[in-house]
Amino acid sequence: MQNGKVIGGPLLVADSISLAFGGVKALSNISLEIREHEILAIIGPNGAGKTSMLNVINGFYHPQEGTITFKGETRRRMRPHHAAEQGIARTFQNVALFKGMSTLDNIMTGRLLKMKRSLWWQPIWWGPAEREEIEHREFVERIIDFLEIQAIRKTPVGRLPYGLQKRVELGRALAMEPDLLLLDEPMAGMNVEEKEDMCRFILDVNDEFGTTIALIEHDMGVVMDISDRVVVLDYGRKIGDGPPDEVRRDPEVIKAYLGEAH
Amino acid sequence: MIYREAGTFRTTYRADQAVFPIPQDKAFVLGLVAVAYLVVPFVMTDYFFLAILIPFLILALATLGLNLLVGYCGQISLGAGGFMAVGAYSAYKLVSIVPETNLVVAWLFGGVCAAGVGILFGIPSLRIKGFYLAVATLASQFFLDWMFIRITWWTNYSPSGSATAPPLDIFGWVVDRPVEKYLLALTFAVVFAVIAKNLVRGRLGRSWMATRDMDIAAEIIGIRPMGAKLSAFAISSFVCGVAGALWAFVYLGTWEPLAFDINRSFSILFMVIIGGLGSILGSFLGAAFITLLPIFLNQVPAALGLPLSTAMVSHLEFMIFGALIIFFLIVEPHGLARLWAIGKEKLRMWPFPH
Repeated sequence: MQNGKVIGGPLLVADSISLAFGGVKALSNISLEIREHEILAIIGPNGAGKTSMLNVINGFYHPQEGTITFKGETRRRMRPHHAAEQGIARTFQNVALFKGMSTLDNIMTGRLLKMKRSLWWQPIWWGPAEREEIEHREFVERIIDFLEIQAIRKTPVGRLPYGLQKRVELGRALAMEPDLLLLDEPMAGMNVEEKEDMCRFILDVNDEFGTTIALIEHDMGVVMDISDRVVVLDYGRKIGDGPPDEVRRDPEVIKAYLGEAH
Repeated sequence: MIYREAGTFRTTYRADQAVFPIPQDKAFVLGLVAVAYLVVPFVMTDYFFLAILIPFLILALATLGLNLLVGYCGQISLGAGGFMAVGAYSAYKLVSIVPETNLVVAWLFGGVCAAGVGILFGIPSLRIKGFYLAVATLASQFFLDWMFIRITWWTNYSPSGSATAPPLDIFGWVVDRPVEKYLLALTFAVVFAVIAKNLVRGRLGRSWMATRDMDIAAEIIGIRPMGAKLSAFAISSFVCGVAGALWAFVYLGTWEPLAFDINRSFSILFMVIIGGLGSILGSFLGAAFITLLPIFLNQVPAALGLPLSTAMVSHLEFMIFGALIIFFLIVEPHGLARLWAIGKEKLRMWPFPH
């Protein structure tokens, strides 16, 4: 599995994060780190706070306590678009694509942050605006090739089947050239073949571009296979953190989530 | 078989990104513009220009402006009439204070003022959405209506409350014949349609559409909601403002604040909805439908020789017009632009559908 990839130092450090909605404690005192180039899986039963954790990381929720340090920069409150500017991309559990736009346009929106040069030429189009558009189109076409979605380039995403929509959403996140990619259940509701495809894409992204990935997934087979490290959450607390094999044998994790063979 | 994509091979991204990737489309639209410029001026009567074509073109421009906001950015606005009024009155004040201003500059200045007011009234959109935003923009309509009626400075203290545009002199070209006014309105409509198309197919348009389709995801990929929404308000109001200035200066000549009341806002919003949300072509189709159909309906009984009273005709006109709007919205909620697209889709197969 590990084909000589080097896992670097921490890219993102979450330090004693606590998040509450009124009286409900979604996260209590969670510290975790995501290291450069690794694939980190966050697992746990429903309502454990996995998605809340991702939302805290990309600035959607503001934790009452604790700090996030990304690329050495510590922040307490930030908006999601700042996270995007810093290089954090994500996909959603329930696909959040722009339904009225084509696959190509959806992925092109991922390039918006990089398209800054030609704003004033937009109304005229000819010249700089068109050149910049084509530059980014070339980048996007490479993603389309990589994800094998050439055939649906011009199809409005609302018409695509679920599995392909998830792929387009991954494409949009990749178009941002993120340093950290957060995937919220990238394989939920897929059949075995689609899951295998998605696993391959995730591993390839990690391998070829060196992108750090944090993913939430319920399919234990997948998690154990592709992740370098696993963090286990339960009722907003962290109950496990380590390599897959270690976590799999942890009695507390088995009790809370994995269950025992009878 | 005549109209098709097959056989057109696009080998560059440039060709693939063209506005009209299908050659027939391109030929059709260019042909239409050529006819509008080269043939229409010679064959139409003054009545046609004054009563039909000029209002149609100017309202299409306003519809285009509102469509950028409502159709592309998804922010419902009932304030189009108010923004048109801002454009008209600011342009009017500019030419009253500095009479030597070129009128085109004055109209664009009107657009800029409208853009500023648009941004101001667009600020609530950062917090509220949908119907609530519509109510907030309605407030802008009432406020602007009130301002132009009550603050007589805007009309140079004219006792009747109406304002009269100076003679139309553009770079030495005195626009006084209906056909000249038509060409002027046509040029504005064409230029703004091209600019709008360029905006919506690029970076700005994508950030608007992303905000419209899913604002949360748009923010995740780095689109600042404030930038996207306020730029949509600004540009939309700019176009509406220019349209308002043209409406006042070119079409009406002498106007009262009533020309830009709530009914104007509603009718422009209807044009956007009936024409097709998020479609440049739809803006023109919607404006054509709402401005031309009543005139057409008005002519039908006379043309058929039916002995109906004028009152009866105008009541019938209202009823048929309303019924047609409902009919179209049921048949095709995405507007005339979608019907047009479906028609083209069918045409690809025609005449051998199997």
